[in-house]
Amino acid sequence: MLLKRRRPGLARPDEPLATVEAVDGVRRLAAVDPAAASRGLRSGQKLADARAVLPALKIADADPRGDLAGLVRLAEWADRFTPAVALDPPDGLLLDIAGCQHLWGGERALVDDLLAGLARRGIPARVATAATFGAAWAVARHAEELHPLLPPGGERDRLVPLPVAALRPAAETLDAAHRLGLDTIGQLLAMPRGALARRLGGELIGRLDRALGTAEEPILFRRPATPWFDRLAFAEPIADADDLARAAADIAARLCTRLADADRGGQRFTLAFHRVDGGAARAIVTTALPSRDARRLAKLFRGKIETVDPGFGVEAVTLTADGVEPLAPAQPGLRHVVSGGADRAGLAPVIDTLANRLGTERLWRAAPQESHLPERAVRRIAPLAPDAGPWPPGRARPIRLFARPEAIEATAPVPDDPPVVFRWRGILHRVRSADGPERIGREWWREPALPSPEAEKGKEAETMRDYYRVEDEAGARYWIFREGLFAADASPPRWFLHGLFG
Amino acid sequence: MSTGLRSSVLDRLRERLHVLDGGARPGKVLPFGDGRLDGCFPGGGLPLGTLHEICPEGLDGETGAAGAAFALPLVARLAAEGPVFWILQRDDLHGPGAAAFGLGPDRLILVRVEKDAEALAALEDALNCDAVAAAVAEIGRLGLTAGRRLKLACERSGATAFVLHRWPYGRPRRLAGQREPSAAASRWRVRTAPSAADGPGLGEPRWQVALEHSRGGREGAWIMEAGDATRPLRVVAELAAGAAEAATARTRAAG
Repeated sequence: MLLKRRRPGLARPDEPLATVEAVDGVRRLAAVDPAAASRGLRSGQKLADARAVLPALKIADADPRGDLAGLVRLAEWADRFTPAVALDPPDGLLLDIAGCQHLWGGERALVDDLLAGLARRGIPARVATAATFGAAWAVARHAEELHPLLPPGGERDRLVPLPVAALRPAAETLDAAHRLGLDTIGQLLAMPRGALARRLGGELIGRLDRALGTAEEPILFRRPATPWFDRLAFAEPIADADDLARAAADIAARLCTRLADADRGGQRFTLAFHRVDGGAARAIVTTALPSRDARRLAKLFRGKIETVDPGFGVEAVTLTADGVEPLAPAQPGLRHVVSGGADRAGLAPVIDTLANRLGTERLWRAAPQESHLPERAVRRIAPLAPDAGPWPPGRARPIRLFARPEAIEATAPVPDDPPVVFRWRGILHRVRSADGPERIGREWWREPALPSPEAEKGKEAETMRDYYRVEDEAGARYWIFREGLFAADASPPRWFLHGLFG
Repeated sequence: MSTGLRSSVLDRLRERLHVLDGGARPGKVLPFGDGRLDGCFPGGGLPLGTLHEICPEGLDGETGAAGAAFALPLVARLAAEGPVFWILQRDDLHGPGAAAFGLGPDRLILVRVEKDAEALAALEDALNCDAVAAAVAEIGRLGLTAGRRLKLACERSGATAFVLHRWPYGRPRRLAGQREPSAAASRWRVRTAPSAADGPGLGEPRWQVALEHSRGGREGAWIMEAGDATRPLRVVAELAAGAAEAATARTRAAG
């Protein structure tokens, strides 16, 4: 039907249409439209046979990649109903709506909304809900009369009249079942399990168990299912930035109320603006500590809304909380106590504001790291991470340290002496006094193993640094080092400026 | 009248005078522990919960080393009250070096920004947070309006702000070197000074410090050394105001 609408020259609305693909050199029907189906055509049929039955059949080439892309777009649209949407190629979607029905006031209303949305987009669909994906799949695709809602525990009754194919068995298993005269699931259920397993293999038993809910169905969702999901739908699409911000505040308040009722807080909040064109624009806010402060979230989202493209309008917003952890109820007058820094929890709002505006990697605390090299002796930890201990004791270290030491021209009269004069960034500095050297070797465990002791020695000399603190005539202090040692046969050692003292 | 009573009456009078003078509500101060310095401030020490400006001179304006060395002992004292934010545009503040001035790694939160506007916004956010004791931002230029905003944020939360003027390497000196109207409660001009090298090796580092503006107080100029457990900075010598002016003028001519 979509194909007919997109390419009107292909077939009139009432003309039968099918897409065709070549399988092992034989052209077969890939999909048929309702008009063709009503004349007895089905997918998988050879084109020649189909033409014999229905000479007026119009055909178009199948486009499996385009179909998959379309399915992905549809999945993107469908996640306004639940974050947990899985693709079931070539033409199905699986939605985990557990915990989402209440947002519509019940399963019935959710399904009606889903069907209405699909109809608006011109997509013919069969929808079934069930306690298991296997049962929902079987009913949606094989039930003669489609009642979308399956009463709880009603899976078995609904599966009984359905054909064995509704269990998605492998082709050989299906053939074997047909050879045994087993056509419906009811017939399978009537057989002893042992006999069934012996004759048709364990695969079918597994399918049956998963459809009945006695075994788990592993499904890869595009986003994990979560009960911490909320939704607001609008009668009229909204696009104004103020309206979007208000919607963000409203939905944050709703989800935070639920989090508060459960004594929980989330650390990552994904706000999705679902557009009328089926796409979605997302804004993500992370918090350093679990949070359920709706006003703060609204404020953090407000800073991101200007980057949201509402397209022709937003018809629904959803908010998902991830990293949900227990969070004790706020006690008035008492600050949260976090391990390591009692007063640091009070920082969470400003950390979150800055991290969401600048990026998480732009905020850090410095912490010691085992290394001889000064530039590697510091690592970054999260601003609210537990204390990592003090700096190791040792010689004086500069206030400013360059990530990469800068080459300088230096004149040292005597080997092993600090320079008397050096040029850095084009300015000549006369050394008035100096301290040192402090010898710092490169970490041997980072170097590749070297075969000969001579090479080892040469390498060691080359990777040795002699650091000096020097003061120039203005009183400015520099941390400079000489790389390598003086040797008659080697090239002269190089000097670097690595840091500055105050 | 006992001495204690007299001094408390005098203190109250001073406060009233200060407020009448247009100064902010007198609050907490950080005493330097030296009358020559403390006497320059109406409250008898560096006023807290407000904005201070540190203007390094010469090459220090690019390296930011002497300015940081001056700010560090002050914010390290305040870190007892809460964490300190340091907002950088060039990520080169070295934790072990800062710890030598008493600011440990668990009290220092670093924020790297791309430009002055981001630095000002981040500084204001940090100052608006009650849990923050002090915040330092390395900024090229601070306008009067931005300074007022920062000062208001300080007064709201009680946090103390230090704007450390710094400009990129190799750039000509900008307006930071000139006297501009400022909202800051104090404005310091800092440059390195030769240490007293009376033996082999380096002596204690020294700075030539000029307090060129103190709201409700007076100006001054000193040669200072790093302090000790009892005081953040130690005055080695007091300079005549004229000498400091002359030094500044020389720098301008050179720069």
